[in-house]
Amino acid sequence: MATEAAPMDEKAKRMRDLLSSFYAPDPSISTSGSSISASFDNINSTSFDADQYMDLMIKKSNLEVLLQRHVQMAAEIKNLDTDLQMLVYENYNKFISATDTIKRMKSNIFGMEGNMDQLLQKIMSVQSRSDGVNTSLFEKREHIEKLHRTRNLLRKVQFIYDLPARLQKCIKSETYGDAVRFYIGAMPILKVYGDTSFQDCRRASEEAIEIIIKNLQTKLFSDSESIQARAEAAVLLKQLDVPVDSLKDKLLEKLEQSLDGLQIKPEEASLLAEQNDSSNDAESNEQHPAKIHEDAVRGFSEAMRAYREIFPDSEERLFKLARALTAMHFENMDLYIRKRVSAADFLRIFRIIWEDVVLMDEVLPEAELSDLSAEAAQVTVKKFVARTFSHLEQDISDTILKFDINQKEAVEEEVLKVVLEASKKAGLQGTTDIFQDFRQLLDENIGIFVKMKDLIIGWIQNGFQDFFRSLEAQFLVLSGKTSSSKEIEGGLVEGKSSDKIHAGLILVLAQLSVFVEQKVIPRVSEEIAASFSGGNSQAFENGPAFIPGELCRVFHAASEKLLQHYIDTRTQKISVLLRKRFKTPNWVKHKEPREVHMYVDMFLHELEEVGKEVKQVLPQGTFRKHKRTDSNGSNTTTSSRSNTLHNDKMTRSNSQRARSQLFETHLAKLFKQKVEIFTKVEFTQESVVTTTVKLCLKSLQEYVRLQTFNRSGFQQIQLDIQFLKAPLKETVEDEAAIDFLLDEVIVAASERCLDVIPLEPPILDKLIQAKLAKSKEHNNNNNTVSS
Amino acid sequence: MQGGSSGIGYGLKYQARCISDVKADKDHTSFLTGTLSLKEENEVHLLRLSSGGSELLCEGLFSHPNEIWDLASCPFDQRIFSTVFSTGDSFGAAVWQIPEPYGQSNSSTLECVASLDAHVGKINCVLWCPSGKSDKLISMDEQNFVLWSLDSSKKSAEVLSKESAGMRHSLSGGAWNPHDLNSVAATSESSIQFWDLRTMKKVNSIERAHVRNVDYNLKREHILVSADDESGIHIWDLRKAKVPVQELPGHTHWTWAVRCNPEYEELILSVGTDSAVNLWFASASSERKASESPVEASRLRVNPLLNSYTDYEDSVYGLAWSSREPWIFASLSYDGRVVIESVKPFLPRR
Repeated sequence: MATEAAPMDEKAKRMRDLLSSFYAPDPSISTSGSSISASFDNINSTSFDADQYMDLMIKKSNLEVLLQRHVQMAAEIKNLDTDLQMLVYENYNKFISATDTIKRMKSNIFGMEGNMDQLLQKIMSVQSRSDGVNTSLFEKREHIEKLHRTRNLLRKVQFIYDLPARLQKCIKSETYGDAVRFYIGAMPILKVYGDTSFQDCRRASEEAIEIIIKNLQTKLFSDSESIQARAEAAVLLKQLDVPVDSLKDKLLEKLEQSLDGLQIKPEEASLLAEQNDSSNDAESNEQHPAKIHEDAVRGFSEAMRAYREIFPDSEERLFKLARALTAMHFENMDLYIRKRVSAADFLRIFRIIWEDVVLMDEVLPEAELSDLSAEAAQVTVKKFVARTFSHLEQDISDTILKFDINQKEAVEEEVLKVVLEASKKAGLQGTTDIFQDFRQLLDENIGIFVKMKDLIIGWIQNGFQDFFRSLEAQFLVLSGKTSSSKEIEGGLVEGKSSDKIHAGLILVLAQLSVFVEQKVIPRVSEEIAASFSGGNSQAFENGPAFIPGELCRVFHAASEKLLQHYIDTRTQKISVLLRKRFKTPNWVKHKEPREVHMYVDMFLHELEEVGKEVKQVLPQGTFRKHKRTDSNGSNTTTSSRSNTLHNDKMTRSNSQRARSQLFETHLAKLFKQKVEIFTKVEFTQESVVTTTVKLCLKSLQEYVRLQTFNRSGFQQIQLDIQFLKAPLKETVEDEAAIDFLLDEVIVAASERCLDVIPLEPPILDKLIQAKLAKSKEHNNNNNTVSS
Repeated sequence: MQGGSSGIGYGLKYQARCISDVKADKDHTSFLTGTLSLKEENEVHLLRLSSGGSELLCEGLFSHPNEIWDLASCPFDQRIFSTVFSTGDSFGAAVWQIPEPYGQSNSSTLECVASLDAHVGKINCVLWCPSGKSDKLISMDEQNFVLWSLDSSKKSAEVLSKESAGMRHSLSGGAWNPHDLNSVAATSESSIQFWDLRTMKKVNSIERAHVRNVDYNLKREHILVSADDESGIHIWDLRKAKVPVQELPGHTHWTWAVRCNPEYEELILSVGTDSAVNLWFASASSERKASESPVEASRLRVNPLLNSYTDYEDSVYGLAWSSREPWIFASLSYDGRVVIESVKPFLPRR
């Protein structure tokens, strides 16, 4: 009773266990849980102990539950029994049906063996019959096969016999591809039997092939054929085992030779540029060389393209060729610009070259032509800029020198002025032109120029800097100032070199330097600032290349140096004159003065020449007579002292003066300020003349100091100086200084005189008048000065 | 010591042209100078720089019969010196000795050691052998020069040899090569001539017109400095004498004399008729000059003029470095003013 409910649970549980044991990888684990939990109450487990189970039941449950359990168990047992019965029954049924089937099979197998034997017999007979047929047909089949082979052979023989004709036909129709295919197909046979059976055939076909090869070669070489055709020809030739390499070499050589034709020769370049010029006006002109050249280069690049396709392995060679052409172009360009070339022409040529390069670059991009040509172009443009500057320099110096030659023929005319103006113009015009040229360079929009813009600006700035520097050096060399140190053979005596160079030229150079400093350099710097300043990388590294301030300084110094040099050369000439005058006579035994000595005339003449040159070149000073009062103010004692030397007083005080000469000089020197004999030279006519006179008078004084005079000697000096006074004052700006210097000469003479007795004024006057009359008579150029 | 630019002055009574350093005086810095006066009685002054260097004292005053055109102190005996003098129409040269107890009497007479009377024309100068021991002398007139042997104890001078330079070259002065005692440089109208004293033959010449003065550089062999009227100062390397090693602008007017400093080889002094004394720094290493283009060289060169002393009233003719204190020099202007200056502020750093 109590166990009746249990079998239901047991059954479900068993089912579960079976399932889980089937699915779980380890059945012991899955079952162990249930076996432990139901170690006592699980009926299905192997360790089930009925007594224990009962004890547990009784202990645990009350009666009702036990009863229920009992009922449940009874039902379960009943169920199990029916199940068992059902199984047995079913199995039995199956066994019976299987027995039936076996019985049936047994009955069917009977009689099968006889059929099988029959079948075997029949198959055997079929086989023997087919063998019979086979043997009877064998001979015939063999025969047929033989015939077939012969036919094939005959066909081949036919083909070979036909080969020459066929080849000829191909030649006629120019289907060389087929021809080559045929020939190559026939090749093995011809190789084997060529010497025996097919001798004629072989010969004929070889001849035909030779023609074909020839034709192919011509085709390859002919420029009129299309590239593809030529490429095919090349391939065919290769198939024919013709040595293509030598062909290639030949072709490339030809191409190389054609390079010569492509050169822009320096002589032709100008023509090229010119013609181009005219063609710009009239487009109809078809035959201008630029066009021809362009076509030629186009052809060349086409050819290169072709060869490249034909001979893929020839690239290196082609690169070389293209590079060579580019290099040649630039070399020729270099030669071309060695002559004087305008920027426009230069650019035109450059454009042509650039076009060529672009054409070639399209064909052979790997040749890096643009890089190569960019480099070359840089060099060329740089050279061009440099050349332009050197041309300008040459121009200027030519202008100066050209006139110098004329000058020696006609000194009297105002040649110096002409020279100065001409060279000024040359300088200004030259720089203007240069700027125009360079602007063209900058405006040019060929790719390469755009890239080089900064560089060009740098070069131009540098160029100007260098130009002005070398111009300055050139000036100095022209003036003979630095020639001695430059020319190694040296030994140039200063006198000699200054003879060679006309003194006037030095003056012109000096003034020209001033002009450059004041006009040209500011203009150039303006221009540069206006159109040539740019982000120049170089400029930032080394500071701006063009430094007008420095150049101005250089030229300022140069102008001063040159002016000084002019004065030096002039005074040297006079100095030589004076030296001769004072060295030759024996002053201690001098005879009485009869007239003013010749050297005074020469001296004045030299001064006059200086005056003339100066007038032509230098501007007039603005303060002609002011200086006098200034200097008078500063050296009052000097002027008062010079007053005492004036004629009237001089005669009266002569005897005392002679005695107290030294004392007076010392005293005067104590009180007076130093007369500024050696003032700075200015760029005015007066200043230069005055400086020259001052230096000459100083020399005169020094020469006098070196001699010892007798009375007559002293009087001669006195007379000469007295005569000089008037004309010198005429020409000179700083009268006080001249007065002082003239007096100094007389003082020096009196100091060096053994017996100081001056000439009486009437005699002095008379002699001077006589001299003046004489010079008037001569009526030469002295007139203007002495009057 | 003195400030350098403000020199110490001393006035002679008359005009004067020549001043000489007394080389043989090892204890003092002394100079000898003589006046040039045609009519008055001429004097020779022995000047000594006081030990503090602040004063220039007259140690001796001696009358000299004629105006003095040239004066040179004997390098081995401080009491002996030579003069070239003029009587107005004729020239003479003599060697003098300062009398023993000098300094006390106001105008003691000079003792004439020897008269160098082998000349007829205008005598230019007397040169003492620069070795400092030798008793050789050279006297030079416009055509000839004579080599003398002096015997101061016997008070006689003997002509050793005499050579004529020829009429065409009128000699104007010279210098004895301190590095080669057989060589003398003589300046003439058109060139600097070099004479070998053994053969008395001209061995070399530099073509250069109107050279006024030459001086050998004591410290550097083969270097000669010349001054001329026209283009200032030239420095020559005698081994390649075609082109000057360096040019200095010189003076506004003539450059009258040049002197190389006896100690500092780069320092050169020049005096000129523009009343100035110029101190030059000639760093003339010939290699540098040759390697560069002339333009560059002139650009790179710093101004070689270290200082110009212009505090003179008249042309400066006389110039002498002190050999005892080589930073001191004496200059003499025509008005008879001796000025001692120190170039210490300009000395090259060593």
